[in-house]
Amino acid sequence: MIDVPAEGQVTVEFTVNGVHHSVETSPRMLLADLLRDRLGLTGINLGCEHGYCGACTILVNGESVRSCLMLAASADGAEITTVEGLSRNGELNPLQQSFQEAHGLQCGFCTPGMLLTATELLEGTEGPLEEDQIREAISGNICRCTGYVFIVDAIRRASERRDA
Amino acid sequence: MTITNEPRLVGARVVRVEDPRFLTGKGRYIANHVLPGMRHARFVRSPFAHARITGIDLSGLPEGVAAFTGQDWAEYSIEGTSRYEGFQAAPMPILAVDKVRFVGEPVVMVVADDPYTAEDAAETVLVDYEPLPAVTSVEQALREDAPLIHEDWTSNLFVPRAYQSPGYESEKAAGPLSVQGRFINGRHSGVPLENRAVLAEVRDDEIVVRTATQIPHLVKTAIANAMKVPENTVRVISPDVGGGFGVKAQAYPEEVACALASRALGVPVKWLEDRREHFLASHHARDHVHDASLHFTEEGRITALTATVHTDMGAYSVFPWTATMDTGMAMGILPGPYKFTGYKVEGYPTCTNKVPFGAYRGVARPAACFTIERLVDWMARDRGIDRLEARRMNLVQPEDFPWNSAGGLVYDGGSLVESIDVMKEWIDYDGLVARQAEQRKQGRLVGLGMAIFTEQSAHATEEFSKRGVPIVFGYETATLRLDSTGHLTIAASIHSHGQGLETTLAQFAGEVLGLPLDRVKVVFGDTNQVAYGSGTFASRSAVLAGGAARLAAVDIRRKLEKIAAHLLEASEEDLIFTEEGVSVKGSPQSNVTMAELCRITYQRPDLLPEGVTPTLEASRTYDAPPGQGTFTNALHVGTVEVDPGTGQVTLDNYWVVEDCGVMINPLIVEGQIHGGVAQGIGTAMFEEMIYDEDGQLLTTTFMDYLLPTAKDVPYIGTKHLETPSPSTEGGLKGMGEGGAIAPGAVVAGAVEDALSELGRVWVSQIPLTPERVLRYIHEAKENG
Repeated sequence: MIDVPAEGQVTVEFTVNGVHHSVETSPRMLLADLLRDRLGLTGINLGCEHGYCGACTILVNGESVRSCLMLAASADGAEITTVEGLSRNGELNPLQQSFQEAHGLQCGFCTPGMLLTATELLEGTEGPLEEDQIREAISGNICRCTGYVFIVDAIRRASERRDA
Repeated sequence: MTITNEPRLVGARVVRVEDPRFLTGKGRYIANHVLPGMRHARFVRSPFAHARITGIDLSGLPEGVAAFTGQDWAEYSIEGTSRYEGFQAAPMPILAVDKVRFVGEPVVMVVADDPYTAEDAAETVLVDYEPLPAVTSVEQALREDAPLIHEDWTSNLFVPRAYQSPGYESEKAAGPLSVQGRFINGRHSGVPLENRAVLAEVRDDEIVVRTATQIPHLVKTAIANAMKVPENTVRVISPDVGGGFGVKAQAYPEEVACALASRALGVPVKWLEDRREHFLASHHARDHVHDASLHFTEEGRITALTATVHTDMGAYSVFPWTATMDTGMAMGILPGPYKFTGYKVEGYPTCTNKVPFGAYRGVARPAACFTIERLVDWMARDRGIDRLEARRMNLVQPEDFPWNSAGGLVYDGGSLVESIDVMKEWIDYDGLVARQAEQRKQGRLVGLGMAIFTEQSAHATEEFSKRGVPIVFGYETATLRLDSTGHLTIAASIHSHGQGLETTLAQFAGEVLGLPLDRVKVVFGDTNQVAYGSGTFASRSAVLAGGAARLAAVDIRRKLEKIAAHLLEASEEDLIFTEEGVSVKGSPQSNVTMAELCRITYQRPDLLPEGVTPTLEASRTYDAPPGQGTFTNALHVGTVEVDPGTGQVTLDNYWVVEDCGVMINPLIVEGQIHGGVAQGIGTAMFEEMIYDEDGQLLTTTFMDYLLPTAKDVPYIGTKHLETPSPSTEGGLKGMGEGGAIAPGAVVAGAVEDALSELGRVWVSQIPLTPERVLRYIHEAKENG
């Protein structure tokens, strides 16, 4: 656990994956580190810590956010979803199932961020998605393993599945 | 071993068994490991490429923060020494002692209670340097008056290499025509999305180092050697790794430093590399300059190749590959899949003040493929022959296998010529070429490029022995245990970090016992749990560990056959293994479930036949004899459009016809190809580590060093041919690297084709950034 010795602790209250939390932390604590180290949400992977690679993407009030660039204190009052909040009762949700079926992951490091970006895309659209739409939406999430082909397939599959 | 059960698992397009933990955020990456009392490290790194350390001031460190300097650990180092005669060796220090040799070299290590404090503390460390002239190019390094990077050397050359095939002179003379050029591949690297990460814990007599590595046992050996302790006091655990690509296939000073710091402080020490450090200190790759000439006849028949290979190996020779790996690999494979026999080559692995040079997917072959394929394109243009036909007529033909290549390798088979036929029909090649020619006449800069190659894979004892590396990576081992509940555990000496080996090893070995995938578990990455082996690199894990696992599964099956035959009162030959268990051919009512058979074997030794011991364990070590590698082949074709105003290249289509022998799982094969091609597109268009003349690395963020995004990589089409390997278990060939080999040559050929209407141009340098493409456009217009 990171215990930051800084003066002037702040209290942050937010809801993460449906559970309310109140956490005392230092004002300089990054949201990603707080969620990982204090709440144990280690599905958030840090790939660059300068907001580029997208591995640490989470949803804050329904919108995708780079948790490596956001201070924990600024998440006060927010509703947060991380990859841990996608599956329920140990069952993969339809998007996660689509990733497995389409082989949309290899090393798995970009996967949580990719899933949350795709979740935002699916929630903001209707009907089966086109390849271009999907590529545009995930262009801020780097995957070094898959060449994106099967990730695109997986998200398209999920978009078809939701209307079935 | 001819054991086939129905349903067959080998060849099945099954989904990966390892996926759910990654999809639910439960990946076991090092960053997620927490130990009681754990402290956090940060390295102070050299800001100079070449300088003497004249003083280190630690007086500003906050209370409670520990620090170590090179003097503390001067007796320890990592040695990457080649067995080649005349090799100039230099130990890689754990922390720089007296002198720094590249920007980013670790100088001081600080350890604090949390990473934020460690980073602040590192800022307080003051190091005095006396800068020395930096050596920042191969050309400069090899000058007579160049400053020596390692003072006791006679030059900045690790070791010169040369090879000439018998009959080179006469074959060269038989090809009176030639094309030649200087072929440049930019310095870049695998850049996995997970940075390096280490968590070391020294407790009692055991040094446990958790590290994100592809080669746990080799890192264990390196740590034991560096710390001068017996190997059985070191345990390396490499759990889930967020991509490796060769970057994590070297032993690094930080791994040893964390172990030393933990030993000194008596607490676990964790270090998570940040992205800037990754650029500044994780090993680079690919930096090749080839001067090469292709000799051929008027008909376009290649007779000989003359080449010089320069590689910029950075400041130290790496463990375990040494600084000779890339040069040697390029020298061996430069003749490509072609039949000519005249070959002369020289190689110069050179020391510079840059980050050391290590492995990256494809090792040297992307550069070699680039050189030979560009030359063949130029020959075809010179002779007025279609580029695919120029290749077809010069390829090793089906009747030629096994072929002793001009580079001294034995090509054991493949489908090179067939791949051309398949590709032509699949993409309507002739129609596509004609359409593009028409579009170019209308002013659009569209073009098509291609590259064909054969790739040495799963090379083992014979090949690595030849390379003079300190450790011959000959073999892998799998230990199988079928337990009393009828579940199989495969403990394999390789590593899986995206390749899907938890699934494919289970398929390949589980099939032998008729076990469904949900009853097979693959274990890897912990040196206390798996037998000694090299790890995962060089497109070899499925072949070597798969072969070992399958052979061990056959051993277990033989024993089960004896026991089942005894219990069912049948003959061993009449037994059928299925998901339901073992039954007797012709009398299905006579059967026993696998769980029951296993339970009896462990718990009722009194029921076993005479002479059969209880337990179901087998271990096999496999080196895929004859160990010189089994050769895959592939043909890649791509089309581009170039923006004449900005020089921006858009890759519109990409097709791969490949042959990796028998496929265990086509879904995983395709995923590997896609990923390799995407990295190759990075090689071709985006990725480059740029140093200034003082040896400062200018590309240290993802804003300066561009990775291909989903908008840059097109849909990648794949078609499979399946020529079984004549030598390996099950006919497998390795295929992890192949995709990354050809894209540089494909994109360069396509851009050159796209500019052909403007004028003649020789595209010979990648990555093809917009700036470089604009220069080529200008050159084409000048040449007319």
